[in-house]
Amino acid sequence: MSKHDDPTDDASTAEPAPDTTGKTGAIALDNLNKTYDPEGEHVVAVEDMDLDVAAEEFVALLGPSGCGKSTVLECIAGYLEPTEGEVVVDGTPVTDPDPKRGVVFQENRLFPWKTIKENVEFGPRMHEGVEEGRAESILDEMGLDGFEDAYPSELSGGMQQRAELARLLANDPAIMLMDEPFSALDALTKEIMQKKLLEVWERDNRTVLFITHDVEEAILLADRVAIMTARPGQIKDVIDVDIDRPRDPEVVTTDRFTELRERALSVIREEAERALEQEDGA
Amino acid sequence: MESRRRLVRLGSILAVPVLWFVASRFGLIAGLPTPVEVADAYVAELYRDDFWISTIQSTIRVLASFVVAAAVAVPLGLLIGRYTIFADLTFPALEMLRPIPPIAWIPFTILVLPAAELSIMFITFLGAFFPILLNTVQGARGVEVEYPRAAQSLGANSYQTFRHVIFPGALPAIHAGMIVGMGLAWVNLIAAEMVAGGTGLGFLTWSAYTSGSYPTIIVGVITIGLLGAISSALVRLLGDWQIGWTEPRPN
Repeated sequence: MSKHDDPTDDASTAEPAPDTTGKTGAIALDNLNKTYDPEGEHVVAVEDMDLDVAAEEFVALLGPSGCGKSTVLECIAGYLEPTEGEVVVDGTPVTDPDPKRGVVFQENRLFPWKTIKENVEFGPRMHEGVEEGRAESILDEMGLDGFEDAYPSELSGGMQQRAELARLLANDPAIMLMDEPFSALDALTKEIMQKKLLEVWERDNRTVLFITHDVEEAILLADRVAIMTARPGQIKDVIDVDIDRPRDPEVVTTDRFTELRERALSVIREEAERALEQEDGA
Repeated sequence: MESRRRLVRLGSILAVPVLWFVASRFGLIAGLPTPVEVADAYVAELYRDDFWISTIQSTIRVLASFVVAAAVAVPLGLLIGRYTIFADLTFPALEMLRPIPPIAWIPFTILVLPAAELSIMFITFLGAFFPILLNTVQGARGVEVEYPRAAQSLGANSYQTFRHVIFPGALPAIHAGMIVGMGLAWVNLIAAEMVAGGTGLGFLTWSAYTSGSYPTIIVGVITIGLLGAISSALVRLLGDWQIGWTEPRPN
């Protein structure tokens, strides 16, 4: 029912109008459906999901665990083929992974067999070639100078996550798909990473789809927070975060932030309860 | 604590010649030559061309067969591990042949292959081939799906993903297979040389048996053991060099 309160749920927005601003990185989920059949058990991970992310927008996808958030991201990345519906990026349906759509994974996925510098240069080396000194300057920006020749296993969790972000930035994607990238970090490191991400995003103007189950993180970072229902996943509500940028972690103490958080939490609570009932019924 | 462990380990090594000496000196095992007799025979062998030719021959056979086995098993294993269609086409047939001990093929290969040399090499090849193949398949399958995905999202094509992600990801398992494969290559080589005859350390040891020269048998055994240990060490060294990233280096 709440699906129809969603301002983005409009058939006409599924195919966004051609962008006249020259910006790239617009994502449209058009009636996305994804079902799995492991050993005959029919699981509907995502059902009839519509969502539009404008070019250069920062959208957080928030939802309870197991609601199909990651499935949505894997469809946008091109790893999974939707069972029905499609993902459209800048007017073109997604069929395969593409360097335009970079991904940061929940667990660090730096290549363990390559040094930090080799990891950062991986993307450019695969297509156009490596620009001398670029990896160094990105690593420098991420506070990783001096670790060029280290292997990922020699770095702390926070440093690994920064290195993975560096690897993504070196490849210059129009879209950054991030799957709970900071969930394994301690509170302090997490805050540093959030700040770093905002800094980079505010400067480079990329589209970000950021998956999280952390309400405060979603509001702190995003322009809009899309809240998903429990499985099968759909968009339950979209909250506009009208807090000025640049933001720093202090904003969590403002009244507006508290209001938005309460609103998001009430939606999530409702969903969590529904999910529990579902499980009891099963 | 550490030094005490070292002492115990040294004792374990020294126990072998001591027990050997006791067993041979007091005739506990009839016919077992004493360490001194064997040392004498060893020195005599070192002056014989036949010993050196056999040693070199066996070493070349093992190395050549091992290299061919690795060159076939690694790419094949990677393909089987990553592509279902390839696995379905080849793996059932290979799995059917695998339980046959390579030594069982010796009589047949001697009959059908044009030279005994080829027969010996083939048996040795089989010994190394299956452990490397199985480990490579396991290694390729064990690479977390997110690594190739990350590579593709960074712009790598299928070949590049294979070359830069699947292969290095499977390397630790490949090396485990190579260590086992090297050991089995020697096992099968010696058996094949004993049966096929002609040259090699296996044949040298066997002909010492038929001529009843007990010390020379032990010389053959020790030489085979030494060469086996050296080849294993070489494979390990190659592994340490290639997969150094698995262990954090001290900075």
